[in-house]
Amino acid sequence: MGKVKNNNHHNHHSLLPSDPELRVKTIESLLLSKGLIDPDSIEEIIDLYENKIGPQNGAKVIAKAWTDNEFKKRLITNATSAIAELGFTGRQGENIIVVENTEKIHNIIVCTLCSCYPWPVLGIPPSWYKSDEYRARTVREPRKVLEEFGLKIDSNKIIKVWDSTSELRYLVLPQRPNNTERLNEEELSKLVTRNSMIGTGLPKVYK
Amino acid sequence: MGGSYEYGEIPISLDSEGDFIDDEYVFKYSWHAKALAITLASGSLGEWTLDESRHARECLPPKDYKNFSYYERWLASLVNLLVNKKIVSLKEIIRFSKLVDDKNSQNYLNKSLKLDKRAWLSQNVKKDLSIGSSSSRKINIKPAFKKGDLVRTVLKNPNTIQGGHTRLPSYAMGKKGVVTKYRGIHVFPDKNAHSFGEKPLPLYTIEFNFSELWPSENESSHDIICLDLWEPYFKKQT
Repeated sequence: MGKVKNNNHHNHHSLLPSDPELRVKTIESLLLSKGLIDPDSIEEIIDLYENKIGPQNGAKVIAKAWTDNEFKKRLITNATSAIAELGFTGRQGENIIVVENTEKIHNIIVCTLCSCYPWPVLGIPPSWYKSDEYRARTVREPRKVLEEFGLKIDSNKIIKVWDSTSELRYLVLPQRPNNTERLNEEELSKLVTRNSMIGTGLPKVYK
Repeated sequence: MGGSYEYGEIPISLDSEGDFIDDEYVFKYSWHAKALAITLASGSLGEWTLDESRHARECLPPKDYKNFSYYERWLASLVNLLVNKKIVSLKEIIRFSKLVDDKNSQNYLNKSLKLDKRAWLSQNVKKDLSIGSSSSRKINIKPAFKKGDLVRTVLKNPNTIQGGHTRLPSYAMGKKGVVTKYRGIHVFPDKNAHSFGEKPLPLYTIEFNFSELWPSENESSHDIICLDLWEPYFKKQT
């Protein structure tokens, strides 16, 4: 085979097979053959994000904030260290900011440039969060976007949209649902939905 | 992308009660999981920064960017980085593409018995992911702005490199806002994405009113957008 020419530095991928599954297989087998990736590492990364790091972590943080006022204060002033108390730290959550929903303010998180998201507390972002539709529209018409999620925000409330342009990662502290005074932390954490921590939903209603 | 008018409904569904249906898998297909893991493992070779990998995604040909799904964009930009950083060659890409395409051959399964010294070892994965890599830098730079300062963002991409990476979204260029929080000194992506080093600079959260960003939109004008912006992205309002 002669010297392969491809002058566009952003178009080398066009040489790969068209089926995305085969594209992954091509890159994986090439990197394995060169010893550049450890196959056990690939399994380990997948296992961590598939089974261990996800919105169940964030739900614990929120439930603790609802029941422990001192923790909540620490969470608002330095979320990264408060969250680390529960053992959730690391990649894509090195600097976390918690924004609190109140009677007057509803917060919603987006990343218009890519899909930045607080991995240690919410895991890998859901596909709608990564969709071009969500990224394009949330900064221009958040109320219409929220209605598509089944959420109508009172016109008296201020909506604050946080576009994740830096390496700071945002987590919404939703309001504690009514009639939950008797629930303990673990029961409360089951009411915390992923969307309520992004701002596209509310915690489950407790009846 | 932010504010673009060409996109329709968010790809989600509601049940008959009007409640959101969460039917999300972490990885819908196994190749999604592989694409993520291989991207992370390749990044840990240490041959490029996170900002470079973001920029590589932005640099995909517009047609591919539009047609590719999320993880296809990751894969395409990963291949471009691997080739441009001379970690793999185009010849190898072509050879392995043929190998995996050949249903009768299992040759591609031959893996190296010896790991490259840069490879991310499985025993380090969990620990390294739990540490991450912070963009915050403890260096002595005095921030030029403070809470309450009225500022205006620059009119065009502040990166001096033509088409260079920036975190100032185009919808927020040339707009008036107010500094609400100083966030410390952080690695500056506009430089770090182009192999100019970290060049850390002060970072601030700046609030913009919707009516300032979208004067012709009819959604509630008292709503607010918050952006994290580095010092070169804005000037004092005059």
